[in-house]
Amino acid sequence: MSSRQQTAVTGIAWRERARQFTRPEIVTPTVLLIPSLCLIAFLILYPIVQGFWYSLTDGSLLRPGRFVALGNYVELMTNPSFWHSVRFSIVFAVCNIVGCYLLGLGLALLMQMDMPFRGLFRVLLLLPWIVPSVVAIVSWRWMVADQSALFNQIIKAFGGSPIYFLSDSTWAVVVVIGIKIWRSFPFMMLSLLAALQTIDRSLYEAAEIDGANRWQSFWHITLPDIRNISVILCLLMTIWSVNDFDTPWLLAQGGPANATENLVVLAYRYTFARNDVGTGAAVSFITLFILMALFTFVLRLQREDRNA
Amino acid sequence: MRNSPRRRGLLSVAMTGIVIFLNAPIILMVMNSFQTTEDILARQSLWPESLTAINYSRLIADTPFLIYLKNSLITAAGSTVFAVFAAVLAGYALARFRGSLLTGYARMLLAVQMFPIILALIPLFLLFRPLGLIDNPLSVILVYGVANLPFATWMARGYFETIPRELEEAALIDGCSHYGAFFRVVLPLSGPGLAAVSIFAFLLSYNEYFVANVFLRSRDAMTLPVGIQMFMQQFSTDWGGLMAAATLMMTPTLILFLFIQKFIVHGAVSGAVKG
Amino acid sequence: MQLFRLGLAWGAAASAMTISLAAANAAPTVLNFWDMNWGDTAYVDAAKALVDEFNKSHADVQVSYRSVPWSNWYETYVTAIASGSAPDISTGAGFQAVQFYGFGEILPVDDVVDAIGADAFSKGTLEAVKWDGHYVALPWMVDIRAIFYRKDLLAAAGINPPTTWDEFRAAAKKLSNGSTYGVVASGDSGGSHWVPTFMISNGAGMFDKERNAAVTSERSMEALDFIGSLVADGSVNPSSAGYSSDDARGSFQRNEAAFILSGPNLPELVGATGAQTAVLPPLKGPHGDLGTVNWVNNIMIYKQSKHPTEAKDFLRWWSDNQLALWTKGNANGIPARAEYQKDPYFQGREHVADIIKNYLPVAQPMSATAGGTFPAMNEVDGDGFLRTLIQKIWQGQSVADAAREAQAHLEELLKK
Repeated sequence: MSSRQQTAVTGIAWRERARQFTRPEIVTPTVLLIPSLCLIAFLILYPIVQGFWYSLTDGSLLRPGRFVALGNYVELMTNPSFWHSVRFSIVFAVCNIVGCYLLGLGLALLMQMDMPFRGLFRVLLLLPWIVPSVVAIVSWRWMVADQSALFNQIIKAFGGSPIYFLSDSTWAVVVVIGIKIWRSFPFMMLSLLAALQTIDRSLYEAAEIDGANRWQSFWHITLPDIRNISVILCLLMTIWSVNDFDTPWLLAQGGPANATENLVVLAYRYTFARNDVGTGAAVSFITLFILMALFTFVLRLQREDRNA
Repeated sequence: MRNSPRRRGLLSVAMTGIVIFLNAPIILMVMNSFQTTEDILARQSLWPESLTAINYSRLIADTPFLIYLKNSLITAAGSTVFAVFAAVLAGYALARFRGSLLTGYARMLLAVQMFPIILALIPLFLLFRPLGLIDNPLSVILVYGVANLPFATWMARGYFETIPRELEEAALIDGCSHYGAFFRVVLPLSGPGLAAVSIFAFLLSYNEYFVANVFLRSRDAMTLPVGIQMFMQQFSTDWGGLMAAATLMMTPTLILFLFIQKFIVHGAVSGAVKG
Repeated sequence: MQLFRLGLAWGAAASAMTISLAAANAAPTVLNFWDMNWGDTAYVDAAKALVDEFNKSHADVQVSYRSVPWSNWYETYVTAIASGSAPDISTGAGFQAVQFYGFGEILPVDDVVDAIGADAFSKGTLEAVKWDGHYVALPWMVDIRAIFYRKDLLAAAGINPPTTWDEFRAAAKKLSNGSTYGVVASGDSGGSHWVPTFMISNGAGMFDKERNAAVTSERSMEALDFIGSLVADGSVNPSSAGYSSDDARGSFQRNEAAFILSGPNLPELVGATGAQTAVLPPLKGPHGDLGTVNWVNNIMIYKQSKHPTEAKDFLRWWSDNQLALWTKGNANGIPARAEYQKDPYFQGREHVADIIKNYLPVAQPMSATAGGTFPAMNEVDGDGFLRTLIQKIWQGQSVADAAREAQAHLEELLKK
C-alpha cells in the first residue's frame, strides 16, 4: 500500500472508531450518568484524595500538620483502642447479620403464607426501620436505663436482680447489638420476601409429588434459590453495620468505658474530641480497606462458585 | 397455598402478637408521650393511669421543635430532589445500556455505598468553610444527595427493568431519540416507582443524624435528629418531652410510607440486590 | 436544562449573600455572643434579658445572643473557629481560652482587667486565666464541687455528717442497703469530677510541678483507691457508670442516695428534697489536707472578631452588670467578682454561704499542681479519658489498671 493509501485507511479507521464512540448507545448513557458523576466526583472522590492526604499528616482541624507518611497507620497498629474497636466492629457486624437474617427470613416465610391483613402486617413490621435512630435509642434507653426501668421490672417480676445495662460493659454491648438487629430486620425481611416470591411454585409442587416434606422443600429448594441474594444482602448489612455511627454513639457515646466504641466512633473521637484529624482519617481509611477487601473476597468466591 | 379459614385466623392472631411484640418499644414510647414525666417515673404498672397532651403543647410552645422540623423537611426534600434526579437518569442508563463505562460505574456505586461518611466530612468541612456553607442546609443537602445515590440508583434501575422494552423500541422505530423515548414513554409509566425512590431517599435523609450533627450546629439550622439528641443529653429526665418529640418526629415518614408500601416489595429491592 | 437552572440558583444565592452583607455594614455593629448554659432554662432567660438591657441602652452596638449546649462543646467551638465562623465573644469551658490562645485565636483582655481593677476579683481567679504574661480571658464565675448530703437520711440512720475520708466511707456504707445507696454519681464529665476533687483533697493532682502526668503518683493513687473502695463496699449505685448528671440528680431526688458530688445549686435542682439537703464541710484527707476542684469560668474574645473594641466594651459592661445571672438566672457557681459574693442571694442560702466560707479558700483548678493553666488543659478537660477512668472505677474494675491507662493517655496528650 502507498503511504497515501495507508493514511487514507488509517483515517477511515479513525473515523469509524470515532463514530463508534459517538453512537447514541454510548453517548446517551454517558450523558445520563453526568449528574451522578458530578455529585460523586465533588463529594466523594475529592474527599477521598484529601482524606488520604490528611491521614499522612498529624494536623488538627485548626492547624495543618507535618507530613508523617505512614506514621499514623503504624501508631494505630500498636494502639489497643484501635484493636478493641476492630474487635467490637466485627462482633457487632456478625451478630447483627446472623440475628437479623434469621429474624428476617423467618418473618418473610411467615409473610408468604395466606392470612387476612397480610399487607397491614407487612407495613407494621417495617416500623423499626422507618423510625429514626434517635427515636429508636430514646425508646430503648427508657426501657433499660436503670434499676427501675421496664426491663428490670420484668426481671424483678421473674425474681431476678436488676441488670445495669448501660453501666455494665458486656450488657451495653448486648443492648447495642439488640437495637441494631431490631432496626435491621425489616429491610432483610422485605428483601428476602421479594426473593422468595420469585421462586417458581411448580418446584414445590413437584417436590410434594415426590414425597418431600416441608423441611426438605425448604432446605433443598428455598435456600439454594435465595443463596445469591442472601450473600449480597449480608454484605450490604455488613457495610451498614461497620459504618454505623448513630447506634453506639447515641446510646452511650461509645461507652461505658469505650465498650461500644466501633471504628467509626473511634475515628469521630480522634477527629473531633482529640483534635487529631490525621489519626481519625487513618482509622476511616483502614475501615474502607477492610470493607473493600471483604467485598472483593466474597464476590470472587461467588464467581468461582458460579463457574464451578 | 390457600389455607383453611381456621388456619388463616390462627396465623393472623400469631402475627398480631408478633407485630405487637416487635413494635413494643415504639408502642410504649407513644403511650409514654401522653403522660407527664412524674407519672412515667412513678408508675408501677405497665398500663397508664391518666393521659395528657401537655408534653406536646410544651414541645411546640417552649422548644425549637418546629424550627427543627422545618429544617428537617427542607434538607430532606432538597436532597431528595438531587438524589432522585441523578439516580433516575443513572438507573435508566444501567437498566437499558451495556458497556464498560456502565460496568465500571456500577462497581463504583458499590464503593460509594461502602464509604464511611466520616472520611468525607473533614475535607468537605474544610471545603465548605470558605463557601460559607457551614450551618447552611445546602451543605447537608449535597452530602445526603450523594450518600443516598447508590441505593436510589439501584432502586430506580430495578423499576426500569420491570418496564418492557417493547414500548421504547416502538418509540425508537417511530423516530424518537433515546432521550425522547425516556422522557415521553418510560418516565410517565414509572410514576409509582419514582414515588417509591423519592420517599426512600426522603426517609434516609430525614432520619440522618451524623452528618447533620457536624454541619448544622446552630439552633436555627439544626434538624430534628440533632435537636432531639440535645434534649436527650440536656434534659434526660424529661422523659415525657423526649417521648413526645420522638413520636412527632416519626409521624411524617410513617404516613408517607403507608402511602407507598404497596410498591416497595416488587421492584424496589430487586434492583438493589442485583448489585 | 437542569444545569442551567442550577447555575441560575447559584447565581441568585451569591447575589443574595452580597446584598445582605452590604446591608449589614450600614446597620449598627452586631456582636455575636455565644454563652454556655450555666444553669437551666431560667439562666438562658435571664441572660437574654440582660442582653436586651444592653441592646436597649446602646444604640450603636447590638449583641446577638446564642445559647450553646454543653453536649459536644469542644467540637462546637473547634469547628466554628476552623470554619472561620467563630463568635466575637463567648463563655466556654474553664481552659478553653488558654488553649485557643495557644492556637493564636484569642485576644488578651489585659486592658479590661485594668479598667475594672484587679482587686475587684476574688482571690485566685485572675491567676487562673493568666498565661504567657497576659490575661487571656475575664473571670466571671467559679464553678466548684462540694459533697451534699440528705440530713433526714443521715439522721434516720443515726450518723453524724462525716468530716474525714474514713468517716465518709463508713457513713456511705452504712446507708447502702441494696435499693438505696450511700452515693449516686454519673459516668459523664460531671462524674469524672470525682477524680480531681479527691486528688486535690489529698493535696495531689493530675500533674506534677514539671507538668508531667501524675495520675499514678502516690497521693493521686490514694484518692483513686479511695473512690474504688466506695464501690467495693457496695456504697455506690451500680447504674452510675451509665448515668448522666441529670440521671444522678434524678436518682438523688427519688431518695435513692444520701450523698452526691455537685455544684453549689444542687439543693435547688432536686425538687422538694432540696429542703433536706445540706453541704458537708470539705473532707479531710488521710494526710490532713483539705481541698476541692474548681474551674474559673471566663469570657473570651476571639481574634476573628471584626469589632474587638466594641467586644471589650460589652465585656466590661457584662462583668459590671451580671449579678442578675445569679439572682434571676440561678447560675450554678460563685461569682468571680468579690462584691457579688456578698449579695444576700448567696449569703442568704446556707449551703452557698458554707461553700463560699469553707470550700472556696481550699479550691484549686485541675492545673494547679502544674503551676498554673496551660493550653493542653483544655484537651484534658474535653478529651474523655477522665470519663473512661471514672466509668471503669464505677464499674468496679481494677483501679490500678484504669489509672495506668489514664496515665498513659495523659502522657500522650501532653506530648503533643
